[in-house]
Amino acid sequence: MPWPQTTKYFGRSSPRLEGPAKAAGRARYTADVELPGMLYGAIIRSTWPAAHIRAVRLDQVRAAPGIRAAITAQDGAFDVHFYGAELAAVAGISRQAVLDALTLVEIDAEPRPFLVDELEALRAEAPRVVPARANLTDGKAQATADVDAAFAASAAVVEGTFETQVELHHPLEPHGHAASWEGDELTTWSSTQAVFGCRSAFAQALQVPQNKVRVICEHMGGGFGAKFNPGVEGILCARLARVAGAPVKLILTRFEQALAVGNRPSSHQQIKLGADATGRLTAFQLESFGTSGYDVGANTGGGSGSARFPAPYIYKVPATRVKQGTVAINAGLSCAMRAPGHPVASFGMEAILDDLAVKLGRDPLELRLLNDPSEIRQREYRLGAEKFGWKQKYRKPGSSAGPIKSGIGCAGAAWMSGGRGTQAELEINPDGTVAVRVGTQDLGTGSRTVIQVVAAEMLGLDLAAVAVGVGDTRFPPSGASGGSATTASVAPAIYDACEKALAELAKSSAIADPRGAHWLKACKTLGSAPLRVRGVWREGLSTGGAGGVQFAEVEVDTETGFVTIRKILVVQDCGAVVNRLTCESQINGGVIMGIGYALYEERVMDRATGVVLNPNLETYKLPGAADIPEIDIVLLDMPERGVIGVGEPCTIPTASAIANAVANALGVRVPRLPITPDRVLAALGRVPPPSRQARARAALKSAFARIAQMPEPIGPEESPA
Amino acid sequence: MKPFTYVTARSPASALELVREQGRFLAGGIDLLGEMKESIATPARLVNIKALPDTMAVTNANGRWRIGTNVTLATLAAHAGMKPALTGLVEAAADVGSPQIRHVATIGGNLAQHSRCWYYRHRDVNCRKKGGRLCYAREGESKFHSLFTGCTCLSPLGSNIAIALAALDARVFVQRGRKVESMTMAELYATAWRTPTAHHSLRDDDLILRIEVPAAPQGRSAYLQVAERSDFDWALVSCAASARVVDGKLQNARIVLGAVAPIPWQADAANAALEGKPVTTATAEQAADLLLQEARPFGDNAYKIPIARALVRRTLMKLVA
Amino acid sequence: MRSKSGAAASRPPEDPAAPSVSRRAFLRGLGTTAVSAAALGAQSVAGELAAANPEALRGPQATAVMLSINGVRRTFSLEPRATLLDALRLHAGLTGPKEACDRGTCGACTVLLAGMPVYACMMLAIDAEGREVTTVEGLSRDGPTPLQKAIVAADGLQCGYCTPGFVMSLTALAQTQPHPTGAEVRKACSGHLCRCGSYPRVFAAALAASKTPSA
Repeated sequence: MPWPQTTKYFGRSSPRLEGPAKAAGRARYTADVELPGMLYGAIIRSTWPAAHIRAVRLDQVRAAPGIRAAITAQDGAFDVHFYGAELAAVAGISRQAVLDALTLVEIDAEPRPFLVDELEALRAEAPRVVPARANLTDGKAQATADVDAAFAASAAVVEGTFETQVELHHPLEPHGHAASWEGDELTTWSSTQAVFGCRSAFAQALQVPQNKVRVICEHMGGGFGAKFNPGVEGILCARLARVAGAPVKLILTRFEQALAVGNRPSSHQQIKLGADATGRLTAFQLESFGTSGYDVGANTGGGSGSARFPAPYIYKVPATRVKQGTVAINAGLSCAMRAPGHPVASFGMEAILDDLAVKLGRDPLELRLLNDPSEIRQREYRLGAEKFGWKQKYRKPGSSAGPIKSGIGCAGAAWMSGGRGTQAELEINPDGTVAVRVGTQDLGTGSRTVIQVVAAEMLGLDLAAVAVGVGDTRFPPSGASGGSATTASVAPAIYDACEKALAELAKSSAIADPRGAHWLKACKTLGSAPLRVRGVWREGLSTGGAGGVQFAEVEVDTETGFVTIRKILVVQDCGAVVNRLTCESQINGGVIMGIGYALYEERVMDRATGVVLNPNLETYKLPGAADIPEIDIVLLDMPERGVIGVGEPCTIPTASAIANAVANALGVRVPRLPITPDRVLAALGRVPPPSRQARARAALKSAFARIAQMPEPIGPEESPA
Repeated sequence: MKPFTYVTARSPASALELVREQGRFLAGGIDLLGEMKESIATPARLVNIKALPDTMAVTNANGRWRIGTNVTLATLAAHAGMKPALTGLVEAAADVGSPQIRHVATIGGNLAQHSRCWYYRHRDVNCRKKGGRLCYAREGESKFHSLFTGCTCLSPLGSNIAIALAALDARVFVQRGRKVESMTMAELYATAWRTPTAHHSLRDDDLILRIEVPAAPQGRSAYLQVAERSDFDWALVSCAASARVVDGKLQNARIVLGAVAPIPWQADAANAALEGKPVTTATAEQAADLLLQEARPFGDNAYKIPIARALVRRTLMKLVA
Repeated sequence: MRSKSGAAASRPPEDPAAPSVSRRAFLRGLGTTAVSAAALGAQSVAGELAAANPEALRGPQATAVMLSINGVRRTFSLEPRATLLDALRLHAGLTGPKEACDRGTCGACTVLLAGMPVYACMMLAIDAEGREVTTVEGLSRDGPTPLQKAIVAADGLQCGYCTPGFVMSLTALAQTQPHPTGAEVRKACSGHLCRCGSYPRVFAAALAASKTPSA
């Protein structure tokens, strides 16, 4: 790879370019945008989990003080399929005026039967969530020959059932937009991971030519996959602005964030795994289902609107049978969430693998080294094991003395990352300063700083000489910030721009290498106009395929069920590290998100009313300051592999490693996430199972039976979303 | 929030008069504003009681503590003089919410707080406590709910300060009409036991003035809780204990559980069983047995029983440590 | 700026046009109840008048609310139901305190009230009268504080939405506890959420800043 070997910035640690602005509260996010004559917008949502909406009457709303526009979400009659579905939107001169007016809406609705329990939805007699489709859909079945024979011939076979929860993104900045029309031209300030994706979506939804739409996202407060599209809220905001003839700012509340802007699908996995006497995997069988809300596929923009996931995850098994489906319930649609499908896949796979290790009487790490096909992960496991003290710490499951039991676990990740397709503009000014503009996004990922680092390195400048602009569709196009593709998409484009710019500057200044001592002199020859050069992504500077392994050490209080994580060790590769400082922060973030997935987070719905019961950050629990363990990061710099991305691989194996550590501590597995005290106590047999659980187990069994009945194979294999 | 008038009361008498116009008392506001933002509470008037005279002080006369209703939880948590004397109370205060909450939340407001049940707190669920027909927790998501109940409503007492005060035999002094009445902690919550729409025994125009904790020479107290997160989370179960410890044996012991009932959960038999006994695994488990013998799990909350047992033993151990 | 009773609102102390008659005499001259303004902590004539006529009903319509924000006293026309956060963001035009939950659960709206971290979203603006409100904007008029520099140096932030809140709580901590332990730093941060997972580096920054001599 042509990245420089001896570097001043590349591969080292540079502070976040916009850090001072953020730390001073000066950075402007969508909610901070102020425009002359700006109105505030808000959305009226369905309180019915399922209903046919005959009419939405907004006359009283429009007549309320301060209201300038009120529109329905859809024309004519329509159906809603979840508590929180959008019905209408209102704009007015103050936020309070709008909130007061929302209650004046009159809705003529016919409530319909609804379901929020996945197992209920799978029963044959369950009402259809969406009339046009069966509740179980999106099926995929695949099998190799002789799976049953392979199991029969195995030296050891283990079976297990594993379940994961619906998880919410909950970026700290809610979804939101500010939209302003000038004539027939629309400008939006959108909290988004994809300014160009949003531009297309706005243009299409509003029937406006793309060259009349501009999307700006200077700073945004986190996305994690939920902000690829304008969403219903973005389109409503733009429509309100058009109708009102004034800019409208519409920011969702935390309550709405829990209902309608995406989630990670749940999973129920029944897994069977076989191995030969040496511990090599021989056979794998999975039946799984989960929910992605009331529908599948749609409304995803960049990833999983499906509850299916890669299986078997990471490990190559010669004989496999995989049957997966998605079940509809009356809940908001899923969308991509940080490594869609992978933490789900990892949880089941790494759990059953550990269970197999226990059955074989083998060290689970040894079993992974034997079966993991990735040479990089093998290296990472070995490196990590030594740093972690795995051999010294490993005990047979449940062997700690006393009520506080300690245990360790590990797991691996695989993520394609990689990227392509970005263009960048590099501007060299006659005074020697430089500006780089890319229509990419910085979600907190540090992409701005990556751009600055690459440009400064390639041009031989101090960081301070390089200004960076991102998040504007007036800048050269880039892809969405998702899939951990940004750094690998953007860095090569900057590299290309720098190379081209140096060549042009050399020509126009007649100085062979304008960098370093000659820089100011060379730039001065530009006269009064800057040099602007466009760079494009090209091959040879980035690749895909990130791995990563994580180790977890936990203590479980078996009297209260409380899990304390003592330590997480991450050994992560991401090709060439561009900016170590911000890269490591991403890894901290992925691990902490994984801790939330492992121990605290769960969207809870009420079966009787169909509402989300925890539409807040009080009872939807995110890891807080006191919950953070020691996190050790070993970041492997592999410049020879070019730039790869790290945002997602670092969150994939965390919960799996923690769950395995808990199982190692207790000698029994908590097969469900999140691993809350009540579930630990239940797994330990300290609590009589509630009667509902017996019913649930029977329903789960018949649900898996339905999945298992899927014919195999189903013609051409569908590629997982 | 719906619009309201705001008025600062300067005396308990005028506070009561002012609140009678569809008003609610406003102390720190953490609980009340939370309800108002969900339109669960829609008072037409907020009566600010933070300026009432003689409500912000912590005093100690001959070992009897007097805590004004407006003393913040942060003040309690940091009170150097109170820490050795009313350890359980200080520890309970330090565990409430977050620093930002403790800086404004008052002890009176904490005791008067409304249910935290997620059905009750949901803007679109008309549960029994709000006057609706059903207690949704009974057939629904009950993991945070009571093991003991005397009526349809399953929501437990959210105040852990109440638990610590119950163990200290504290009394609450309440302006009720023209009189100042004193209530034990049990009396303060008794109405919530039998009346599903009640959070406590206070009427809408009852005003907590102060809390008094009787002198307890050589008395000790302790408090513990378990929550899902390590901090800034509601307790799954809490426990407070107090006693005199003489020659390693307990005298006048109190052991109280929180988050398991709409009232601070105590049992005379459990307290009596500890009398004159040292704290051992056996005596602690016996007390736990007596305290929990009427426990009736609903749905998903049976796990609270083993947690309660562990907390009883650990709190008693902490008491004598 | 005239308050409802027609008396002039006070100007900042350094204003040479400030009235020469003492406030107390002025109030007595109005024939109001002789309540000690000082004892009630009011810091302005408008506030003192309100204090002197203590049980006046305010609202429900917008009323004059005097707030002192980052050392500057301003009168806003606010309904009683306006929260302090509403006042800061929607009326005072500040961007530092953020709205991320509006329920006192995430800390992004944290400001200092008389030096103490509080959730601005869970306080009525009226209840903040008479006490100094400090936002992140008020900390760094002369450039970033050692804590802010440390946060940037340690990369104790990613998306940055939670950052001003953390800065406020840790600034208050530094004032009361110049050499905090790791546990004290965590406790000071316990009312904050960071979805990007910057906690470890926020803690490191706070500890690092406590070791640097103050500017």
